Amino acid sequence: MVIDLDKCTACQACIVACRIENNVPAAGAEETEKGRAIFWNQFFSELRGSFPDVNLRMFPRPCMHCEDPPCVPVCPVEATYKDEEGRVLVRYDKCIGCRYCMVACPYGARYFNWFPTRDIEGQVNDRNPDVVRDSQGWAVGPSPRPMGVVEKCTLCIQRLELAKEEGALVGSEHPDGVVSACAETCPAFAISFGDLEDPASEVHRLSLDKRAFRLLEELGTKPQVYYLTEG
Amino acid sequence: MKVTRRDAIKLGVAAGVAGYAAYRFAGLDSLLRPAETSGYSLGGTESRVASVCLQCPAGCGILVRVVDGRAVKIEGNPKHPINLGRLCPKGQIGLQILYDPDRIKEPYVREELWQAFGSGSLAAYLAAPLRDRTPESFIPVPGATADERWDNALGLAAEVLRTIRESTGPGEGPHQVLFLSGRNRGQMGGFIDRFCAAYGTPNHIGHSSICADGSPMAHWATQGWKAYSGYDWDNTNYVLCFGGAFIEAWRPTTRLLRAHGTIRRGRPIRGKIVQVDVRYSVSAAKADEWIPVKPGTDGALALGIAHVIIRDGLYDATYVQDRTFGFDGWTDAGGVPHEGWKDVVLREYSPATTSVITGVPAETIERVAREFATVRPAIAAGERGSSMQTNGVYSRMAIHALNALVGSLGRAGGPIRQRDPPLASVPAVVKDAIATSGGAQPPFDFRGTKYYPLAAKVYQGVPDFILGRPDPAGRTLQPPYPAKAMLCYYTNPLFSTPDSARWDEAIRQIPFVMTFSPFMDETTALSDLILPDSTYLERWQDDVIYPSLGYPVAAIRQPVVSPVYNTRNAGDVFVELARRLGGTVADSFPWADFREYMQARYLGIHTTAAGRVGETPVSSFSTFEEFWDAFTRIGVWSSPPYAFEDWAYTFPSPSGRFEFYSQLLHEKLEHLAEEEAKLIQDPPPPQLVEQKLEEILVGLRITARGDMVFMPHFEAPRYVGDASDYPLHLITYKLMVHAEGRGANVPLLREMTTPHLRRAMNWNTWAEIHPETARQLRVADGSRVWIESPPRDPQGTPRRVLVPAVLYEGVRPDTVAIPFELGHTAYGRLAKGAGTNPNLILANEYDLLGGLAAFSPTRVRVYPEGGG
Repeated sequence: MVIDLDKCTACQACIVACRIENNVPAAGAEETEKGRAIFWNQFFSELRGSFPDVNLRMFPRPCMHCEDPPCVPVCPVEATYKDEEGRVLVRYDKCIGCRYCMVACPYGARYFNWFPTRDIEGQVNDRNPDVVRDSQGWAVGPSPRPMGVVEKCTLCIQRLELAKEEGALVGSEHPDGVVSACAETCPAFAISFGDLEDPASEVHRLSLDKRAFRLLEELGTKPQVYYLTEG
Repeated sequence: MKVTRRDAIKLGVAAGVAGYAAYRFAGLDSLLRPAETSGYSLGGTESRVASVCLQCPAGCGILVRVVDGRAVKIEGNPKHPINLGRLCPKGQIGLQILYDPDRIKEPYVREELWQAFGSGSLAAYLAAPLRDRTPESFIPVPGATADERWDNALGLAAEVLRTIRESTGPGEGPHQVLFLSGRNRGQMGGFIDRFCAAYGTPNHIGHSSICADGSPMAHWATQGWKAYSGYDWDNTNYVLCFGGAFIEAWRPTTRLLRAHGTIRRGRPIRGKIVQVDVRYSVSAAKADEWIPVKPGTDGALALGIAHVIIRDGLYDATYVQDRTFGFDGWTDAGGVPHEGWKDVVLREYSPATTSVITGVPAETIERVAREFATVRPAIAAGERGSSMQTNGVYSRMAIHALNALVGSLGRAGGPIRQRDPPLASVPAVVKDAIATSGGAQPPFDFRGTKYYPLAAKVYQGVPDFILGRPDPAGRTLQPPYPAKAMLCYYTNPLFSTPDSARWDEAIRQIPFVMTFSPFMDETTALSDLILPDSTYLERWQDDVIYPSLGYPVAAIRQPVVSPVYNTRNAGDVFVELARRLGGTVADSFPWADFREYMQARYLGIHTTAAGRVGETPVSSFSTFEEFWDAFTRIGVWSSPPYAFEDWAYTFPSPSGRFEFYSQLLHEKLEHLAEEEAKLIQDPPPPQLVEQKLEEILVGLRITARGDMVFMPHFEAPRYVGDASDYPLHLITYKLMVHAEGRGANVPLLREMTTPHLRRAMNWNTWAEIHPETARQLRVADGSRVWIESPPRDPQGTPRRVLVPAVLYEGVRPDTVAIPFELGHTAYGRLAKGAGTNPNLILANEYDLLGGLAAFSPTRVRVYPEGGG
């Protein structure tokens, strides 16, 4: 994924689209206050300076799907793993909720379900019914998660698996290419999605742009999400 | 047998694991256990239905993913030119409006009214001088089936309307019905106009006087058309935006967000964006430059910039000569000489002078002027921020005049006049004697009179007209008849009007209130009868885009699922009410339902064979049915490209040019003065007309005189409250997630971080205060503060609200900023009781010339929760 911060308008459509696509429940005011709201893609900002010389920097932060993810080796039960396509996923039913992975992730991209999914009457109607299971049959997709497990961005694996089945093209470079919910909705066309290793892909080209950088590169996680600086 | 500690522990652990497993694997969790299958699966059939979003007036096309009759995801419609398949967060959350558990599910009625209906005493009910309205005290309209309940509800509504219409008492009649409307899309506004005309009331009062009507009025005065402006953003190289939140709450949202991306990275030249604003908004943060300006002085800044451009000869001389009127001195048909606008600007608005007024350094004015004039094409724009002050219309005129100086109006990369779809006309309204006489009554809101000359509605003045209270200029305007009924469609006056407490009292003096709201909003909670509309995802409607792209675009809104509850499309309800009223009212609505009306109008597109549905030319559909079928399937019709430099269309003003001296404004005020003078002497001598004009200007609190009155100039803003008692300006603003007051009950819109404030979330309202100001007031970050404003209750109690303070370096030290959206006392479990509505403390001030609500003149004092 490549996110162009010069085009990004901080509208947070990506944040919201993700939560709806992936059945992430709202936490409510109280739980949010405790820092328990789940945002697979979350918005970060930093204000520097004092009036009138101020500068605000903002960026969205999905899961980095690191090539060398710190979260995978610390999982005691192999609930979280890196699949053959490079996606870092969670087998919800294997997770024992120890949260070592959350400690290990330097990006804060993993979230714990502190409470069961509470269905407000009627709101269950808009639940995304897609189901994705890994090769062993464990659910890893957008199905609602129970209390006590960790969850995180899956690069909208349900869309990618369906694309695989239908033989549809994946990637922003294709006119109707399948992409993640965040990339699909971004009104500023700031998010590019696709296969970094495919030389013909948009993300590959942009990852080599002179404005390209990654978060916390010095940690050696080798994130697969690139940003393009502003200006 | 001995039970060892080891056994006990084993037993305990086993029990614990069993218990935990039982808990974990019950209910929803059963989906997650390993299964035989792998890969993707979907248990159901899915489809994608085209429709249009409605959380703002942009009109973005959407495709709704429906699985087994349930809507599960909303995406943008790639074929819709406004959003090209994308959506802002407000568009994404539509499902939480459709499936909001707190929706009104049936028609409801106040029990007292139902009894009056049953006992034939509606006339007495409607004659009540005061109705003590308890919030949310309704009974469901009786009826054994869903249709029967609607039949009864419509029967009651029609009977009430008939009783009012046919009442013969002195001054009584259908004109006593006030029809307030707000978010009208497509043909709905015109449909309500039609209903009011056929029924016999002149009082269709739209909401836009509490919106940014300063812009349409400025366009009307200078160019001759009254509407918002489109902008060719994709080709512009310099954006100078005065108080329009370019990438937040300005409309059309997604189009502007995309424009931002295009201006930055979509062309070889990266355009420059300069944001003039009283606070460091997200738009200011993403701009190349933020110019903090003193509240209410945007017009002066624009004039200072104009001064530099004119002084240094940086304007487009050919364009000014060929396309504008009144730049140089001129002589009118009567031989009277008039000063040119350029001379006024050079004389009055030097950088030194305007720097003092605005607080913007003179060097900045000089530099920005030079940049704006030499980096072409350039756009000067402004919206709510610059028009919601007492000098709103003149400020917008001054800002808009900058476009005329650099020759961008009507051209690629500049402001453009939007074109409309070629819809077919329909038979004229049929009027009987009652409709004719009712429609001829003076409007309840004094629009277009000497009190509010340019106003097409004065929505925020209605409570004062009902209560006989003075308006902001101290004038007590009493309509010649009382309001007998108020109908509300997509508007919530009790929540959205500044100094909203006036409505709490005023609504009790209206005998009958009926709304069509799908939600129990504050106004609906106090009403007599509710005929709940279906939400936008459950009904037929059309949507014509907000002024933007220039070329016409229209889209279809259709039910993506069957209505979840027993609600009906308000458009269909109007048709049904007309049918039940019978006579000429029914004759004026010769369509079975709103959908049939739309088809009658959209026949025009097929007849003219204009444009295309998606990519298919309309000319390829041999029948209207084929066209309509494609239109509803693909969802959007458009007719690109935009024809730039169509001067007749761009400037339908008296001169056919951009008018620095507005002849339309002159005509209007002159006409009003003549009418006043005729009351004394007919025909009136010129001196009497002059005298009456002077009186009118005094009444409008306009300080300019002579030709200046008709030209862009700076009127000093009037603030409410003196600086010694109320040292801070109260500025209200709107976040990206502000869904026009309709998003407060949506969980995902509330649970949003605020980009510019790390700790604030939309679960509550907050007040942004500068850290140094807070220190002087002894206010700590996150602590609660009282914000107190000058207006008083009838009892004399000060108006104040208690709000958490957030210290923010991006707000002026002399200003406190509070966002809108929250502070509901109804509207659902998440909305009710959360946050604070700034309207509680905002003073009711106007730009009197436009009859516009000025949200920004109120000054306040701030003190910690404990002390005062």
